[in-house]
Amino acid sequence: MAFSILAGAGAAQRGQPQPPRDPTTPTTAAQAAAPATTARSPRNANYAITARLDPASRTLTGEELVTWRNPASIAAPSLRFHLYYNAWRNTRSSFLRERLRAGADDLERRSDADWGWIDVTSVKLVPASGAPIDLSSRLRFIAPDDGNTEDRTVAEVVLDSPVAPGETVNVQVAWSSHIPRTFARTGAVGNFYFIAQWFPKIGVYQDTGWNCHQFHSATEFFSDFGVYDVRLTVPDGWIVGATGVERGRRDQGDGTTTHHYSADDVHDFAWTTSPDYVERIERFGHAGLPPVSMRLLLQPEHARQADRHFQAARAALRYYGEWYGPYPYSNITIVDPAWQSGAGGMEYPMLFTAGTRWLAPRRAADPEDVTVHEAGHQFWYGIVANNEFEHAWMDEGINTFSTARVLDQFFGPQYYSKRYFGRFVPWVFDDIPLRRATDGNYLDAYRQHPYLDNESLPTWQYWPADAWVTTYTKTALWLHTLERMLGWETLQKILSTFFDRYAFKHPQPRDFFAVVNEVSGRDLTWFFDQVYRSSATFDYAVDSFTSERIRDRGVFGDTSAKGAATVSADVYRTSVVVRRRADGIFPVDVKVTFENGQDARWTWDGRERWKAFEVERPARAVSVQVDPERILLLDAHYTNNSKTLEPMTRAAGRKWSLTWLIWLQDHLLTYGFFI
Amino acid sequence: MTVGAAWRDGVRRVNGAPLIVAGMFTFTLLLALPLSIALRGMIEAHLDDSLTAAAAADGTDLDWWNEFSAQASGLGTTFVPSIVGFGAVLDNLGGLLDNLPMAATIAGATVAWMILWSFLSGGVLDRYARQRPTRTHGFFAACGTHFWRFVRLGVLMWLIYGILFAWIHPLLFDELFPWITRDTTVERTAFLVRVALYGVFGALLIGCNLVFDYARIRIVVEDRHSAIGSFVAGARFVRRNPATVRLYLLNASVFLLLALAYALLSPGAPGGFAIWVALAIGQLYILVRHYLKLLFYASQIAYFQGALAHASYTAAPQVVWPDSPAAESIGNASPML
Repeated sequence: MAFSILAGAGAAQRGQPQPPRDPTTPTTAAQAAAPATTARSPRNANYAITARLDPASRTLTGEELVTWRNPASIAAPSLRFHLYYNAWRNTRSSFLRERLRAGADDLERRSDADWGWIDVTSVKLVPASGAPIDLSSRLRFIAPDDGNTEDRTVAEVVLDSPVAPGETVNVQVAWSSHIPRTFARTGAVGNFYFIAQWFPKIGVYQDTGWNCHQFHSATEFFSDFGVYDVRLTVPDGWIVGATGVERGRRDQGDGTTTHHYSADDVHDFAWTTSPDYVERIERFGHAGLPPVSMRLLLQPEHARQADRHFQAARAALRYYGEWYGPYPYSNITIVDPAWQSGAGGMEYPMLFTAGTRWLAPRRAADPEDVTVHEAGHQFWYGIVANNEFEHAWMDEGINTFSTARVLDQFFGPQYYSKRYFGRFVPWVFDDIPLRRATDGNYLDAYRQHPYLDNESLPTWQYWPADAWVTTYTKTALWLHTLERMLGWETLQKILSTFFDRYAFKHPQPRDFFAVVNEVSGRDLTWFFDQVYRSSATFDYAVDSFTSERIRDRGVFGDTSAKGAATVSADVYRTSVVVRRRADGIFPVDVKVTFENGQDARWTWDGRERWKAFEVERPARAVSVQVDPERILLLDAHYTNNSKTLEPMTRAAGRKWSLTWLIWLQDHLLTYGFFI
Repeated sequence: MTVGAAWRDGVRRVNGAPLIVAGMFTFTLLLALPLSIALRGMIEAHLDDSLTAAAAADGTDLDWWNEFSAQASGLGTTFVPSIVGFGAVLDNLGGLLDNLPMAATIAGATVAWMILWSFLSGGVLDRYARQRPTRTHGFFAACGTHFWRFVRLGVLMWLIYGILFAWIHPLLFDELFPWITRDTTVERTAFLVRVALYGVFGALLIGCNLVFDYARIRIVVEDRHSAIGSFVAGARFVRRNPATVRLYLLNASVFLLLALAYALLSPGAPGGFAIWVALAIGQLYILVRHYLKLLFYASQIAYFQGALAHASYTAAPQVVWPDSPAAESIGNASPML
């Protein structure tokens, strides 16, 4: 097999389409790069791939033709490729070292066949004319992030002559890989295959050089856009779903069938196959948005949940389309992964995995939550393609925030649920509704991990066990805080501007912040200093609160004429002391409510450690709140944000302790089984 | 005696001693109440004088609950959203069947409750066996008489249940279940496997439970002193009388019906006056659970006694009740010369 680099060394090739000699096997770089539609993206990383799956040995053999154009302003002296499957070769890889460091304990149970790897068998540079140049011997593994010499997830090939800016090279790569029992949503269980991060994939070349990170346990991916032309050979009768659109099938006559897919302006290609899928197709249509053909590949035991998947996908396509910008592709494939495949809840261009359970009550959050979220990634990741190794918050955070908003907007109330008896049997607690601001943005996860990394660190450097909290939750919470500060109309305009400006590009955090400042018309640098460029936590609290009829004592007026006196008035003096108990600084309102329904309100810049407020009114105050509208959702201790002079504390304590009493009595009787 | 007749006789015996039901319910309540009061203190301390208290009193504020849980320790860690309504039953049943760890405070309370219940169960079984009021004196005399025998039986019981939960359970659910379902991609199939394993484990549990039930009954009814002897006798009785299994399953079915009714009727944790209705329904459910637990005892005793040559036979234990210190000193005094 060959990993070849087809290179027009020195001479720039701008992809020129050539007819294929064999409809199932592309033979030239130009063919791979052939644009089928008007380019929306730079299309500088194009692939023509053929691959064959052997389920018996769980191996995948493939060959690809990469047509890569150097988009940077500097020459590329080498080419770098991601070999993600090698993250699961052994526990010496950076990926698994990080997982173990974070406390993963499921590796011991893996059998010998459960590990995964990819072996590049050849690399050839294919010049515009002449014979391919075999560079296989130059292939070496590098570890640009952590120097781990045992890590084989990035390979480099040094070229004889650098690829000049704007120049195109053709590289032919051949490989063989073993499909693991699922790691990071990729792998197989039983007859279910979900194949992602599966082919040698060229890194992103920037003006600063290669951006080609090793595979880390807490981060995802980063690639350039291109055109993919992929032929996948699987056993006859197996259903295939993949990024893009199926262009044709060809029976190979040996018990296998080749499925031909293509996709334009995408930056990755994933696929799935299984003989067990139930296939459903519906169409998305909404005024003002382009139609989309939705293909759903369901597990048979979830067939009755098809409408829930479609409904959630529709909601995402509609609201993300209206809020940010239309979904630009004609197709989308929703994959419902097999039980215990570990492949659920992951996004790839034009295809995503949802995830549901055999027993999935409608009042609980899934599969709607995961479906909206992963469909939403088509916009934030698929189209606005930030670097997930370095700034994962840009897609995950914005998308978590947006998912909660769609669920709140489109679906009925959802409730807390829990699974019992081996986590098979769900029970929905109708008394415990989930709320968008707190539950939708996963405030509780943020609350439980207060010692987070500084969000501006590259994501791959976050503490792996809690990286998701910073990435998803903290970002969603500060975005929702922004929504409450600026109003949805402004935030929606910010996000749609950002989306429009960076669709099919690779934005940086500074690009996002610039759009926020530009569209809002405010310099919010201070805000991002707090929530993004620091790991500060927030906790504002009411420290003391009194409201009493005025009764001043002492000497008043002219001291020579009068002695000490007590001065009373039919006026109440209300005193409030509020405190900042954590490092984070945020301007907050302080609101006092009086018995007559009136209120007094102050704005505090929140900088000092404490602040006292006093007001005299004819009515007694009943309550005080700091941040009464709960704008600052990152304040994870909201109970101390208020005090009232008419507390319901005893009633609440009585209610909940007596409710718990029933649980305890039942507990005793349950264990009374033994006597 | 048929199973139905034994069950009906058990109902008659439990109904004939309502104070036993009330007493055992009160006992459980009194043991649980101090912990509930302690938890109330924690909740009130966390809520302080905040406006959140009003939301917590009037409904369910999951965000506050999560905030409370995040700072809770000890007893407070057991105050979780799944205690509401029928969730409490699922939480406890699931915890037992899945052998989940419990908070140290709750484990301590559970052990204390089981020891005290064991003490009282001597009097309870004696009362149901005699089918006549035994009065306080007789009740507690029977408690005292049988307690140390139950303690010795308890050692054997914990040994056997220990093997079941420390060895058999992990073997079935942590080793066998993952092994069987390793390549299963259909959740329903895996669930059926798990149900089957619950069946296996449940059969072992019920088998042991039955033997210990009849061992305790034989201690009381036949005034047996040997724990091992009564265990063997209990096992022999169960083996020779398969109807004991049917009676057990009948009682278990009634419990499942009760659980189903509670699942349908349990109003959760509403605000306002409705919370009192919810709490009353909860306590009614607990009261009926006590009734059904006692019905297990009574119907099994009825069945056992029905199988004896002399129905309703109960050996009179040698009740030694201490005299008052004054009477004792008079009795021990040297005769006056």
